[in-house]
Amino acid sequence: MKQYQAKKEERRAYLFLVLPAVLLYFAVMAFPMVFSIWMSVSDYSGGQIFGGSTPINFIGFNNYARMWKDQYFWISLKNNLYIVLISVFGQIPLGFVLAYALHRNQVRNKGFFQTVIYLPCVISSVIVGILWQTIFSPYGPFTELMRHFKPGWENSLLSNPRTAIIPVLLVMLWYYTGTYFIIFLANLQKINPEVIEAAKIDGASEWQSLRYVILPALSGVIVTSSILAISGSLKSFGLIFAMTGGNPARRTSVLALYMYDTAFRGAPNYPMANAVSTFMVVFSFLLIIITKLAEKRFGGREE
Amino acid sequence: MTFRKSKMLMVLLVVLVISLLPMGTLAAKKVTLRVLNYFDASSPGASRELTEVWEAFEKNNPDIKIVREDLFGEPFHHKTESYAAAGRLPDVIYMWPGGRSTTLHTKKLVKDLTPFLGEKRNEFSEAALRPQAGGYLGELPIGLTATHVMFVNTELLEELNLKMPKTYQDLKDMVAPLKAAGKDVVLVGAQDDWVMQSVLFSMISGRIAGDAKVDQFIAGKVKFTDKEFVDALKFYQQLFTDGVLNRNVMQTPYGEVAALFAAGKAPFMIDGDWKAGAFLTDPTTGQALISPEKQKKIVITVFPAISGEVVSGTTSSVPGVGFGMSAKLKAGSAEEKAAWRLIEWLTSEEVQKLRMETGAAFPSRKGVTSDQLEPLAQERGLFYGRVNGTYVLDDQIATDICIPINIGLQEIGLGLATPEQVAKRVQAAYDTWAKK
Repeated sequence: MKQYQAKKEERRAYLFLVLPAVLLYFAVMAFPMVFSIWMSVSDYSGGQIFGGSTPINFIGFNNYARMWKDQYFWISLKNNLYIVLISVFGQIPLGFVLAYALHRNQVRNKGFFQTVIYLPCVISSVIVGILWQTIFSPYGPFTELMRHFKPGWENSLLSNPRTAIIPVLLVMLWYYTGTYFIIFLANLQKINPEVIEAAKIDGASEWQSLRYVILPALSGVIVTSSILAISGSLKSFGLIFAMTGGNPARRTSVLALYMYDTAFRGAPNYPMANAVSTFMVVFSFLLIIITKLAEKRFGGREE
Repeated sequence: MTFRKSKMLMVLLVVLVISLLPMGTLAAKKVTLRVLNYFDASSPGASRELTEVWEAFEKNNPDIKIVREDLFGEPFHHKTESYAAAGRLPDVIYMWPGGRSTTLHTKKLVKDLTPFLGEKRNEFSEAALRPQAGGYLGELPIGLTATHVMFVNTELLEELNLKMPKTYQDLKDMVAPLKAAGKDVVLVGAQDDWVMQSVLFSMISGRIAGDAKVDQFIAGKVKFTDKEFVDALKFYQQLFTDGVLNRNVMQTPYGEVAALFAAGKAPFMIDGDWKAGAFLTDPTTGQALISPEKQKKIVITVFPAISGEVVSGTTSSVPGVGFGMSAKLKAGSAEEKAAWRLIEWLTSEEVQKLRMETGAAFPSRKGVTSDQLEPLAQERGLFYGRVNGTYVLDDQIATDICIPINIGLQEIGLGLATPEQVAKRVQAAYDTWAKK
């Protein structure tokens, strides 16, 4: 009986301790999520949500169908995939190469380069967006520079729908590489130098010690970085919003921006915007599952 | 209790009651008004607006306390929609006659101001009091707006031996000499997709199709795929093929274009009349993008005559932005009276005069003048006297239909869509909207 009482008291204490966190979780995570899904299948058209004069009806998956048929949704999704690609196959390899070069003392003034490479990461994405918008503007320094080499050169980089996303991808490469650089540098420093020395004594070349010692030791970090890159790519917003606003003709839009445009620009369509956000969550899960599968296949060789 | 003690107690009670009286029944009850204001703190006239409009009102109305939120650009619109969704709209709110404030009008979240205005409506220009997106006067305009004006740098034209164009052909003939001089022809800050529709295409459709036709489009009596609308889109496309507009306008940020024009990158700039304010002197710094002396060389006019136009020399105009009153304010309440007193002040002659001087808005009231206008502000005033206006599309047409127009205009400019394709998409959007 005494033991039962103690267990009951213990359970009550646990409940008491986790209650604030649970309540907070419901308020800021669970409720908005459920609310968002509910909104995505409704016909809410503005005005007061609770207790308003216009009734809100369930309309099934109409908003998802409308999103699916919208060409700008596919343009945004395609751009998001480009960003995922530039992140996974651009930022991560570049971050690793730079970290490796510094770690293996291939360059002098390590501290200086470390600072320069990481510096963009500490600047607000909106500031970075405005800065590069000015640089790539038809009347900006990039145009002036190009005209110095080729007089009369017309800067159509951002106004050509085929190339408009390229400057955005380049800026993303420049902006986020520093994050992966720091992650790799920290993990490279964790590798026992004696292991590399031993490989060298055994006659391994620089490439062989990289291929057979260092890269396997970092495989887990590479997978973690990939997950970070994928999830980060899907929520890209601030930089593109400030740099191009998703234009020209929405050709540089991404899913987050498409959702924003649907919700706030022009005719506010909250139900469809919530359908986009629900799709983004599902899509993120899908990509993370793929990464996890890749981790199972290639990761876990640190030991 | 002795008599002395009870007497003292009585005195204390009386003192207590008297000391409480001013805070309660004796003092006039102070009304608190929540206001959501659209305010560009970086504009040249910002400091004057704060002191001479808002602080002055509170000083002259000690019984009203203003709790004001100043926001600008997208954050303003988000906040408005959020307040509407939560059912917590501020008592007085800055609004557009349609466009981004459509929800407030169509959901009747603001009161009809016509009964409040009464006989005083005669003091306003009739154009300013046209029914708005909800079919009633949801906001009292603080000004009138011409969404299309062509700013002309006559000094630059003279330098290049060019004359003011009277027809589109004249403008087209300038393309080659301007290109040779390393200049663009017309600047438009059209990176955002609303810009082309608002500052250029509304004027083109007004001239080529005419307002009567636009009324028929809205009523569904004619289709957007009909000749008139397609012709308007074709003329717009021609601007790019003729080189009058450079594709670069699509990557020119809206906020950057005034500085480019002031720097002489092109002799023409197309924008709304409000852009004049960007060139005036900032009283806090004494600096101006175009000095008052040089402003004399800037002319504000409209796009030259277009071949086949049904009306000539017009701009596109709209009753300006203004202030509305929350529908939740109880009729006859002290809050409602205070809100109306504030709206009256914000649309008063005094405030409109100030806004005319700072270049923020052209008066919606009749006969407002000032002797402190810089040359460009004077030019703006004269402009209103010499041009007529046609509809601004996003003021007349539902936003669901305007979105494909806005994006379609960018696509035509970039060569991604033909006028026929865009017209078809607009008609499809209309059909969907009409079914609702």
